Amino acid sequence: MLFHTWTFAIFFAVVYPVYRATKGTRFELPWLLAASYVFYGWWNPLYLLLIAYGTVMDYWIVVRMDRSRRKKWWIALSVLSNLGLLGFFKYARFAAANFNWLFAHLGIPYAMPMPDILLPVGISFFTFQSMSYILDCYRGHVERERSFLRYAVYVSLFTQLVAGPIERASNLLRQLREDRRVAWEDVSDGLSLFVVGLFKKVALADYLALYVDKVYAAPADFQAPALLLATFAFSWQIYFDFSGYTDMARGIARMMGLKLLFNFNNPYLADSLGDFWRRWHISLSTWFRDYVYIPLGGNRGTQFSTYRNMFLTMVISGLWHGAAWTFLIWGVLHGLGRVLTRELERSDFYRDSVPRVAKQLGVFAFVTFAWIFFRAQSLDDAWVVISRIFTGGWMDPAFPLLALAMVLSIWVYEHLCESKARALLEQAPVRVTMAVALLVYVAVFPAGAAQKFIYFQF
Amino acid sequence: MAQDRENPQPQAKPTAPRIDLRFSSNALLLSWRQWAVAGIIFVSALVLAPRIGERLENFHPPEDYRIPYDLSNDYWLFGRYARQAAWRERTLVIGDSVVWGQYVKRGETLSHYLNDRAGEARFANLGLDGGHPVALAGLLRYYGGDIVRTRVVLHCNLLWTASKKHDLTSEKEFRFNHPTLAPQFVPSIPCYTEPYSRRLGYAIERQVPFFGWTNHLRVAYLAGMDLPSWTMEHPVENPLTATRLPLVPADEPPLHEPIAWTARGITKQDFEWVDLDASLQWRFFRQAVETLRARDDKVFVLVGPFNEHMLTDESLKTYAARRRTVEKWLRREGIPYAAPAALPSDLYADASHPLAEGYRMLARQLWEDEAFTRFAADSPSAP
Repeated sequence: MLFHTWTFAIFFAVVYPVYRATKGTRFELPWLLAASYVFYGWWNPLYLLLIAYGTVMDYWIVVRMDRSRRKKWWIALSVLSNLGLLGFFKYARFAAANFNWLFAHLGIPYAMPMPDILLPVGISFFTFQSMSYILDCYRGHVERERSFLRYAVYVSLFTQLVAGPIERASNLLRQLREDRRVAWEDVSDGLSLFVVGLFKKVALADYLALYVDKVYAAPADFQAPALLLATFAFSWQIYFDFSGYTDMARGIARMMGLKLLFNFNNPYLADSLGDFWRRWHISLSTWFRDYVYIPLGGNRGTQFSTYRNMFLTMVISGLWHGAAWTFLIWGVLHGLGRVLTRELERSDFYRDSVPRVAKQLGVFAFVTFAWIFFRAQSLDDAWVVISRIFTGGWMDPAFPLLALAMVLSIWVYEHLCESKARALLEQAPVRVTMAVALLVYVAVFPAGAAQKFIYFQF
Repeated sequence: MAQDRENPQPQAKPTAPRIDLRFSSNALLLSWRQWAVAGIIFVSALVLAPRIGERLENFHPPEDYRIPYDLSNDYWLFGRYARQAAWRERTLVIGDSVVWGQYVKRGETLSHYLNDRAGEARFANLGLDGGHPVALAGLLRYYGGDIVRTRVVLHCNLLWTASKKHDLTSEKEFRFNHPTLAPQFVPSIPCYTEPYSRRLGYAIERQVPFFGWTNHLRVAYLAGMDLPSWTMEHPVENPLTATRLPLVPADEPPLHEPIAWTARGITKQDFEWVDLDASLQWRFFRQAVETLRARDDKVFVLVGPFNEHMLTDESLKTYAARRRTVEKWLRREGIPYAAPAALPSDLYADASHPLAEGYRMLARQLWEDEAFTRFAADSPSAP
């Protein structure tokens, strides 16, 4: 069930009034859980077994851990259970394919059977969310949740179940405990977020996808300008797609009186790679910071160990995104980029003399280059794209001017938002006019049938 | 990642990201009062846009007008043309491509020859290419709301019951014409494979005229594509100056070569006729009649004429029985009808489509039919 479909509109039209009516009563949590399970089961009812297993297992482990002196054993069991689930559904096929490749090259006459497993939507997100609760309980940063129902809602809440933001118990679980009324402001703020997200997805991401999909489906058929433009277009497509989803998720939650974590903050205005990761998919970045980078040692050791920890964190992040060499290389690139740019930032010249806009363009160019590996269907395709960008001819890319104008408008708008002109943009007539314009555009000119969100595959 | 943040105490409590912003800087924050204003403006735009669009768009159909083939999926235009024709007190001739005139030019259709014999423009061609009864029932229900207290000649083509596939009762999945007009959920159409989420979209969108109008813009101005897809095909062209399909083309050649079925090498057919009691198409034909009668329209049904020469003896017997059943139902319901005898064999292009001369003969037969002349003489607003 996608947020930008009539199916979801009807689902929410049923769920929301009942939620409001039951808010603060003993029926609130059962209703939210039922709605969330219907939402998730809409893709495939069998997925419900998976999320139910993860929920029961983690809840039980925390109960046992709470009463046990050997907490480490329980946390190990939980990590094993969660990563085992993730590994089986997400990485088994990748691992088997690589083992078979290795066996073939070593001359070992054996081939592992290729598991035919359907990757459940959003498994990486709700698994990480559940793990953060257990790890925080283990560290004593959050209290054990006594209500199983509330914990089950925390894991499965439909607003952010399939693509985040990856919530923390300290944020969402706390709000689920509070008996807070939904104010008019919550509804209007939620609507504001939802409409912007809807526009990003329907009008921008799905539009750019038409060009990107065409070029990346057969990169060898295109020359440098088309490949370059498709790569830049993908940069914007994935941003509009994912941040659009996040805006809609946060908007829906906000209408229900829940404040989900902030996840994007104009990432393409970042002036360093570190800055980029503080603006892009923030809930995942902070997750890796808290549960991978810091446990690895963070920046407490030598410069070398800090860089090593940074690099490893990025590589793991790459693998989190997908079971393919392309994602691994994407992670490696960002890991190397982080190390190199951190060194660069230590120099006075770079820090003080290079104009900010040059740094921003540099970061954008690097991030865009790395997206090639993220988007390409295989390593071979990625090499084709890169080699043809630098060596290909100059055939007309046939990139739609309207799409170019729309992306440029957004880029200028983002700049204005971070400038003194923001005050002008916040004038009521300007905002109302823009809201109407977004709605009219979405109603009149949407791109074809509803497209899935890119991050659903992770 | 965000590990740049200095963290001198690695065991410190990991908190949720500290950025306490309700919105990203490129979001658009409106108060509920502002949303109320925006909502009113937006809804007004949805209501007014089709009306304003209709006023701005030049559409003056000539006497022999039929909706161009390329605009067959433009149901909003059908509704608009039906409204105009009804307002001019024309008799609307509604049906599938037999009425539309698949093998003839615009000036050779049934409605043309009916007008010809009447000596004035009294009939309007509202045929829909591929308009099987299930689709026609949906078309009249959702887009024919202005066909009120009007005379309507409704064509009944039994070809749509000639097999389970024609009847849409086949279990085998296939794509049929005008799926957005068909019932999306109940009754279930076994061969209909569209995902439920899309069906829900169809079911909602056909209730709202605005979406019909946006579909009209796509079909008539953007070659059936949405704007993004159109700009992919025309990357540097201005969509506002798009090459539009003329709503009133100078003339259209026949869709297919106008030659007799015998010259096409078609042999006699043994159709697997569906029992009318179990037929979905027959059920929806009756529903279409009921829809029109509920709007106080005067309905006249034209049954056939089917190309009986193309049927094997066995198939012809079954067809005759089906036709008798249809006539019986029409008599029982008190609906005036004509079921003319089959035209000469060489006046058919296939199983049900006459050639130009066939339409001329059919028009003459109708004008000689007592029920039809009585129907045509009636005032549409008479009780």
